[in-house]
Amino acid sequence: MNNPNQPAADTLHNTWQNRNPGSPGWLQTFQKSALAEFAQTGFPTTRMEDWKYTDVRKLAAAYPQWLINQAAQNTDNTSNSLEIDQAIRVVFVNGIYNAEKSTQNLPEYIQVGKLSELATKYPELLKKKLGKLAKNTDSGFIAINTAFSETAIIILLPDNTELQQPIHIEYFSSAEKTSVQPRVLVDLGTNSKATIVEHFSSSVAAITNTVTEIHCSAGSDLTYYRLQEEHIEAWHTAVQYIHLERDASVNAIIIDCGALLARNEMRLCLAGPGATADVKGLLLADGSRHIDSRLSVEHAARETRSCEHYRSILADKARGVFNGRILVQQEAQKTVAQLTNRNLLLNPGTEINTKPELEIYADDVKCAHGATTGKLDEASMFYLLSRGIDPVAARNILVAAFASELLTDIQIPAVVEHAQNAMRALRLS
Amino acid sequence: MIIEINNLHVSVNKTKIIKGLNLNIGPGEVHAIMGPNGSGKSTLAQALAGRQDHEITSGSVQYLGQDLLQMKPDERARAGLFLSFQYPVEIPGVSNVYMLKAALNGRRKAAGEPEIDSVEFMRFVREKAALMGLDQKFLSRGVNEGFSGGEKKRNEIFQMAVLEPRFAILDETDSGLDIDALKVVANGINQERDGNRSFLIITHYQRLLDYVEPDYVHVLANGQIVKSGAKDLALELEEHGYDDILAAANG
Repeated sequence: MNNPNQPAADTLHNTWQNRNPGSPGWLQTFQKSALAEFAQTGFPTTRMEDWKYTDVRKLAAAYPQWLINQAAQNTDNTSNSLEIDQAIRVVFVNGIYNAEKSTQNLPEYIQVGKLSELATKYPELLKKKLGKLAKNTDSGFIAINTAFSETAIIILLPDNTELQQPIHIEYFSSAEKTSVQPRVLVDLGTNSKATIVEHFSSSVAAITNTVTEIHCSAGSDLTYYRLQEEHIEAWHTAVQYIHLERDASVNAIIIDCGALLARNEMRLCLAGPGATADVKGLLLADGSRHIDSRLSVEHAARETRSCEHYRSILADKARGVFNGRILVQQEAQKTVAQLTNRNLLLNPGTEINTKPELEIYADDVKCAHGATTGKLDEASMFYLLSRGIDPVAARNILVAAFASELLTDIQIPAVVEHAQNAMRALRLS
Repeated sequence: MIIEINNLHVSVNKTKIIKGLNLNIGPGEVHAIMGPNGSGKSTLAQALAGRQDHEITSGSVQYLGQDLLQMKPDERARAGLFLSFQYPVEIPGVSNVYMLKAALNGRRKAAGEPEIDSVEFMRFVREKAALMGLDQKFLSRGVNEGFSGGEKKRNEIFQMAVLEPRFAILDETDSGLDIDALKVVANGINQERDGNRSFLIITHYQRLLDYVEPDYVHVLANGQIVKSGAKDLALELEEHGYDDILAAANG
């Protein structure tokens, strides 16, 4: 039987064989099985329901050559980096940890380096954490990340630790036609509290394919900001898995405003009673950009609450895709879940495909969802014009107003600033 | 002459509403336009402000010697034309103070002036807000967000006071107001009468004109001004209604 994925899988396997990062045996076995799992799923195609509107053929064609192209460490940082006061900064340039640009003397709960090195230093830890939440079969890109990741960061916050400083992970790509495969593993101890910011930017056409696995122990509290502002010709594929135990909570904001094609997927599991999640997403695209941002929230325990609010602003010929899925398991009685998606199309020629999904197996729940799509309100536009505000300024004001509800809760001004700049930079047809 | 309207014809959705209107307003003058519902009062206001779906099928409007109809809505506003809306829209996410600052700076930019000083601006704006009985907190709230009808109208007059227009069109500013709100609004308007600023007050009822005395009153019926007079014309309308005047106009 001919496996259509086999050619790609074979090429990837050869590429992997030719590398010699000095990985310990167990990791090599683990990565080989990831490649075997890739052979099962292959690169996503538009025949798959979850990838119906996102065509990754050109991206798939860039693999594996862009994986092979080695990037020299480029210390010339012309990036649009975030400036966050008092943050613990971890900087990767072209996938390589840059100690000079990072905070000196990282605390011991943050380990950074090549995956192969960390696997040698902390085998038991990595065996426990790597792939615990992320399944290679969930997507071919996850399998690739598992097999090829060289950029790794592990954050293990001990119990009862409240971090005052945010942890800021900065990824910058400056080497053309290369790929970066970051793997981020996070564990918040019981009753711990932390803010983690991931910021992606690039100055060239490059691939970033990232997998983040976050475990929140009982009573822990995570604030997670993700800002993606990749180069107009870059590709960005990403998945975050967040697993919440009893009474744990996550407050997340996902902002996608870059890349030629970006696909971000957040997978939340409210696994313990009382766990809560608040996720906001903002998608901004103009030109011929394609942004696919989605999330799935699984309520697997009673008395869990989630609130998801995604908005997109599209201009010129941009394409947006939103998929919000709520799954309420039978044991998740007294679940409260709400999903809202609102889309603003600034000119004819843009397109949004939005699909809210509710799959409910418990009978004592409150679930609601809604999606609306529209253009700028003419009455509001005329009101601003009648006050002497010119049309471009008026449009910028209304666009900012549309996103403002999502941005008001962000505690880090730099993130808000970057989002506002991205909105002002949107160009109509 | 501030504004000269000559044989104006306006259609909305292909329906003729204004059918040959003539009106001249000089500096410092207060003109009231009254008329039955459907006579075209709001259509006139919106057409002068430049609303896109109000089609000018013929006629001309000179404003400060310029061809108003060639100007875009924001250009008209920067040239000193102000419209107080009959139904002001709510714009959550845009604060009242932000909008006004953008408006003032837009005006200054067009005149080649530097942007307004923030401190001076806040002081000025707070003073005007207090005059209109608007709570200081409202400045940072979204434009008209959660406002009652009366509050929205007070916000319109407050904006007029801040923007200091040359020609203010007040479209049924008194509708929906109780007597106290009416007095506040009337006072706000009177404060801005400086002998140079002109007003076109569109109203259905005569009430407001007790407090804001007009120089001229015009009756608009069926898209045209059918009668003009001094302020006592308004009292006459109050007493006898529109029927007599309409009959005289048609007969």
